[in-house]
Amino acid sequence: MSPTGRPLQLILARNLLASLDTAAFLIDARGEVVFYNEAAGTVLGRRFEESGPMPAEEWTGMFGPVDADGRPLSYRDIGVTKDVRGDRPAHATMTIRSAKAEQHRVAVSAFPIHGDDGFHGAMVFFWPHPGDEG
Amino acid sequence: MEARVWGARGSIPSPGHETARYGGNTSCVHVALEDGTNLILDAGTGIRNLGLALPEVLDGPLHILLTHLHMDHIQGLMFFAPAFRPDSEIVIWGPASPEASLEDRIARYISAPLSPVEVRELPSHVSFRDAEAVEWQIGGATIRADSVTHRGPTLGYRVTEGASSLCYIPDHEPGLGTPLSALEDEWISGLALARDADVLIHDSQYTDEEYPSHLGWGHPPLTDALEFARRAHAGRLLLFHHDPLHSDDFLDAVAVTAAERWAEMGGPPGAVVLAAEGATASLPSAA
Ligand SMILES: [Zn+2]
Ligand SMILES: [Zn+2]
Repeated sequence: MSPTGRPLQLILARNLLASLDTAAFLIDARGEVVFYNEAAGTVLGRRFEESGPMPAEEWTGMFGPVDADGRPLSYRDIGVTKDVRGDRPAHATMTIRSAKAEQHRVAVSAFPIHGDDGFHGAMVFFWPHPGDEG
Repeated sequence: MEARVWGARGSIPSPGHETARYGGNTSCVHVALEDGTNLILDAGTGIRNLGLALPEVLDGPLHILLTHLHMDHIQGLMFFAPAFRPDSEIVIWGPASPEASLEDRIARYISAPLSPVEVRELPSHVSFRDAEAVEWQIGGATIRADSVTHRGPTLGYRVTEGASSLCYIPDHEPGLGTPLSALEDEWISGLALARDADVLIHDSQYTDEEYPSHLGWGHPPLTDALEFARRAHAGRLLLFHHDPLHSDDFLDAVAVTAAERWAEMGGPPGAVVLAAEGATASLPSAA
């Protein structure tokens, strides 16, 4: 990784996600949300250009995932996060909330991004949870 | 340091009277450091003439820095005279790959049936080293390598000696997927490597009109090459890796367009030229 640029793997992933209709986030090795695409912005009710990069705690505090009572889970307690930081792919169903405080049940798939020089972060895709659409 | 272009063509050698002025040899740039160390950026067919021009007896090893192993960047290796002298010492640097060592990957070319000799049969002392995406020293220069957007593992190099630096990114499509204008600096492939370089040698294989039919081929349109240099605040830009279909007359017209666009971007006049075989750049090491 260069001193001030992002690792190429994250740059390529961002370019890929930007061209997809599937809602997706890009997380860096520290857990910071460094990008999300337009489809994700639609679900969240806020475009990436408006919110910018966000540290993990700020992110979870704002968008979740939330527990059954609507309280944000701690970043450290999210199973998908644990798996991805352990360099394993993960899939889960969870509830997130938008900037307008609407709750969405979503299915989440996360894939670690591992380059020749180590772990760089993850691509996280999410879909409306089957049965919860509409 | 003194840099000299020995091959500025991309993809495949393109000899003939229509390409005689810019030259038909593929990527190769010689950089002579103040302390006499010889760096060679890529080993396209231009390295053949360089090999003939270098003194037969050299003080130290020759360092060849390969950006990647596409044919137009290694094809000259087999015809590089110093590789056939028993007293030559050659260090070849190139991108690492999880699939095979640098030596094994180069040996696929320098081996039967593509080649009459094998790497191990070369009489010179040849060694291979992975160029990690970090900094290291060669002679009096600091070398930095970084991965850039192309097809397959590909590096750009930055050579810094004293107060001067030269950045070499011959194959690069930084605007793939997202326009450069929509990206912050940290999200542009190669930009940190090129930042404030006195001389930037950068891919500009396609015109803006040609680019849409070559999206994802690993090379940028002219405007992206210019925009990349502007964002990097490069002192001078040598447009490089000319398409084999581009004749001298065509490239003359590209040069005019490049100068106009550069001026529209607010760039200083005379800072952008199209690289031609024999072109030189002198970079004083003292500020
Ligand atoms: Zn090339
Ligand atoms: Zn190439």
